[in-house]
Amino acid sequence: MNFQEFKERVFAAGRAAGLGDMEIYVTRSQRLRIRVFEAEVDDYAASLERGIGFRARFGGKVGYAYVEALDEEAVEYLVQGAKANAQIIESSDDVEFYAGSESYPQVLSYNDSLAAVSAEERVSFCLDLEKAAFALDERVAKVPYALMGYGDTEVYIANTLGLEQGFTSNGAFSYISALVRDNGQVKTGSKLHYGSDWSTFCAESLAREAVNEAVSLLGASSVPSGDYRILLRNDVAREILSTFAPVFSAESVQKGLSLLQGKLGQSIANSRVTLIDDPLLKNGAASAPFDGEGVAARTKKVIESGRLVTYLHNLKTAKKDGVQSTGNASRPSFKSPVGISPTNFFIEPGQAAYGDLVKTLDDGLIIISVQGTHSGANPVSGDFSLGAYGYLVKNGSIARPVEQITIAGNFFKLLETVEEIGSDLEFSGPDFGGNVGSPSLIISNLAVAGM
Amino acid sequence: MLSEQVVTDVLWAALSTGGDFAEIFMEDTFNTQIRMLDGAVEEAVSGRDYGVGIRIFQGLRSVYAYTNDTSRESLMKAAREAAAALPGAPAGKTVVLARLAVEKFNPVRLEPRQVTHLDKVEVMKQAHSAAAGFHEQISQVAIVYTDVDQSVFIANSEGLMVDDRRVRTRLGINAVATKGAEKQSAFRGPGRHMGFELFEKIDVGEIARDAAHSAVTMVNADYAPSGKYPVIIDNEFGGVIFHEACGHSLEATSVAKGVSEFSGKLGERIASELVTAVDDGSIPNAWGSQNIDDEGTKTRRNVLIENGILKGYMIDKLNARRMGMEPTGNARRQSYKFAPTSRMTNTFICAGDSTRDEIIANTEYALYAKRMGGGSVNPATGEFNFAVSEGYIVRGGKIEEPVRGATLIGRGSEILQQIDMVASNLATGQGMCGSVSGSIPADVGQPTIRVKEITVGGRKGAN
Repeated sequence: MNFQEFKERVFAAGRAAGLGDMEIYVTRSQRLRIRVFEAEVDDYAASLERGIGFRARFGGKVGYAYVEALDEEAVEYLVQGAKANAQIIESSDDVEFYAGSESYPQVLSYNDSLAAVSAEERVSFCLDLEKAAFALDERVAKVPYALMGYGDTEVYIANTLGLEQGFTSNGAFSYISALVRDNGQVKTGSKLHYGSDWSTFCAESLAREAVNEAVSLLGASSVPSGDYRILLRNDVAREILSTFAPVFSAESVQKGLSLLQGKLGQSIANSRVTLIDDPLLKNGAASAPFDGEGVAARTKKVIESGRLVTYLHNLKTAKKDGVQSTGNASRPSFKSPVGISPTNFFIEPGQAAYGDLVKTLDDGLIIISVQGTHSGANPVSGDFSLGAYGYLVKNGSIARPVEQITIAGNFFKLLETVEEIGSDLEFSGPDFGGNVGSPSLIISNLAVAGM
Repeated sequence: MLSEQVVTDVLWAALSTGGDFAEIFMEDTFNTQIRMLDGAVEEAVSGRDYGVGIRIFQGLRSVYAYTNDTSRESLMKAAREAAAALPGAPAGKTVVLARLAVEKFNPVRLEPRQVTHLDKVEVMKQAHSAAAGFHEQISQVAIVYTDVDQSVFIANSEGLMVDDRRVRTRLGINAVATKGAEKQSAFRGPGRHMGFELFEKIDVGEIARDAAHSAVTMVNADYAPSGKYPVIIDNEFGGVIFHEACGHSLEATSVAKGVSEFSGKLGERIASELVTAVDDGSIPNAWGSQNIDDEGTKTRRNVLIENGILKGYMIDKLNARRMGMEPTGNARRQSYKFAPTSRMTNTFICAGDSTRDEIIANTEYALYAKRMGGGSVNPATGEFNFAVSEGYIVRGGKIEEPVRGATLIGRGSEILQQIDMVASNLATGQGMCGSVSGSIPADVGQPTIRVKEITVGGRKGAN
């Protein structure tokens, strides 16, 4: 059964059951993951999945249901499920259905040549990744992870107001983690790469980054507790930005869960900071012509030269604030109700290369990994206290590796104390919280707990 | 569900190249999730997950494929495509299926699908009122009700054919306290492998007030002093320290490949002799319990550490091959979309001889971590971190001022050696554990313990 045909059947059954506005949101995806261990493919996973999310208005309220099986029961299950769920909704928020935008942007989100890479090529890439890691340094004892993944997804949305849109995207990622042993000490280094251009998947250079990092951490020790000037490497900076991204959601603001409430138009960050949400980014992992409600995607600055320009809106929050939706309605999956999420969300890069930032730091700590963002960070207060490691910098050059420390601070304070922004913007790859990117950042000071 | 003939044919197709073991996992799951904010239901979703996973081994290689299309044609295609990823010719083994009856020790009395939405909402309202009415500083209360009714069917080329049903019910309570521009939140999430009768066994109002109490205490607390000093970790969810710092490193997922700090250490002392720790997926109605694991192996009680000596690991079928040991009933997966691997079920440190009062009275200075948040670990190095969500300073044998914002970091192996007091008040708490085979329900647990020294991170300098 194709989606259009299924849609007609669901809408007909819904009308018969007395439902008002109705919408289906369908995804169909193919995924492949290949992992190599000790020169053998030890894990090969392939999947073909689809899912149908359905929402409908009944008695003025909107309920949700979803199915994965497209059998005879599915239509009835969706209609009755959404109806029963609508009947218990008490919130007075108006849920909007959308008839469609006048036009939709062209977005490059699918790369044919990436899809055409053969299974053999993908396997040999993973084998090379592991081999390269072992060849780089004799202290490499294990390569716990040498893997790659590929996925493509087709999204289709249609409702009873006449909206009907779809698009297809694809992407690939690679992850390597190398474990080095020296004098009984164990360290790991890893590298994640995401992209839609297969020519950027260079096994040798990815392995080198992971191995170099692991080796560079041998002999690490803690530092005395105190306040330090900090260089957050690009991957750490984006992880912190991603953790606190919900504070920019209008839903968090309206619910009183964001300290950015009432701050529109005000300065909330150092004037060097510009934060962009760009769903039209060429081959971006979160690029799409429309959002989870069918609203046409558009690029916007969220922070411009330190000043908060807008929150991220969907139709519901936009109506509440009397503004236009920013096209940030999200459906992390067909199972999820409409929420809000950034798309390709990044701090605009500056001029300084990473090496120059190390010199500019002069005395301080470079943080190359943080742990515990899901538990040690509070998006409501902005407070964070995270396990971390990296390097001690003295007189503008790396003195030694550092481990067993925590860095603590506050996200809002951090935004105000960004002193320098690097040119090395890198993205996280697709995630439920959007595709977040950042260059490396120098922060005036964070509290470090160590010895 | 699938007919025996289709199952046999699919297993046969899966073994059509060099595979030596094939398995089918079929799932049909009904989910309900209802969200309430400040006393009003905001969102309700019900859904049905449905699909089949096919797994093939060839020695230590594993191939996994899954699909939502469970027609014979589609399953045969998936099996053949998966088999094509393995080299070799079939060994010509015949598959003779024999249905295995499993003892069902997780009785369900009130099936969630037979309970009305209104009854579910009623429980949520009780929780809301109790938390919201606790104190004037409580500014927001969010409640999430979830139930999951999962039916699985597992068959493999060794002839196993078995089914199981797992019904789980949980209530999540998040209370936010506000003081000026500051906000602190506290979470409680009681859940069991049972139906709606859960709410006859727990006192929702008391749990909600406890969450509110935590949030209010923390919003009025100063930051924890940072540095390296003794930490007393309370019972129940405090067991997350063992889960993160040691449990993950005892899963065959990392042990089998020699990348865990506990690889090759069976029989060695890895913890203080006060420590005995167990993973037990066979506790009736516990959150992480299942009659069988997701490979069809009966769950059981596995002693991991006995009086400080490493006694065992948690092992799935594939890693059992790598390790030359038997599976322990720990193979788990979030759904058919994941190949199973060794995971924890209900994992806890066993009761000792002291009491909580004795531990506090015998401590000159420490951080008393009454409630833990979540955490994570790098199994290769054992380095862990986790957040203290409700803390106090113990001074001169007494619990004194509350402190917030503390993070504990360290190495699992070191912390285990430094446990110097263990109380008798073993209790468990419920969590969702995320790892390679997805997010799964798991109980953590322990009695109150004291650790001689842990690095405490936070915003405030050392004392």
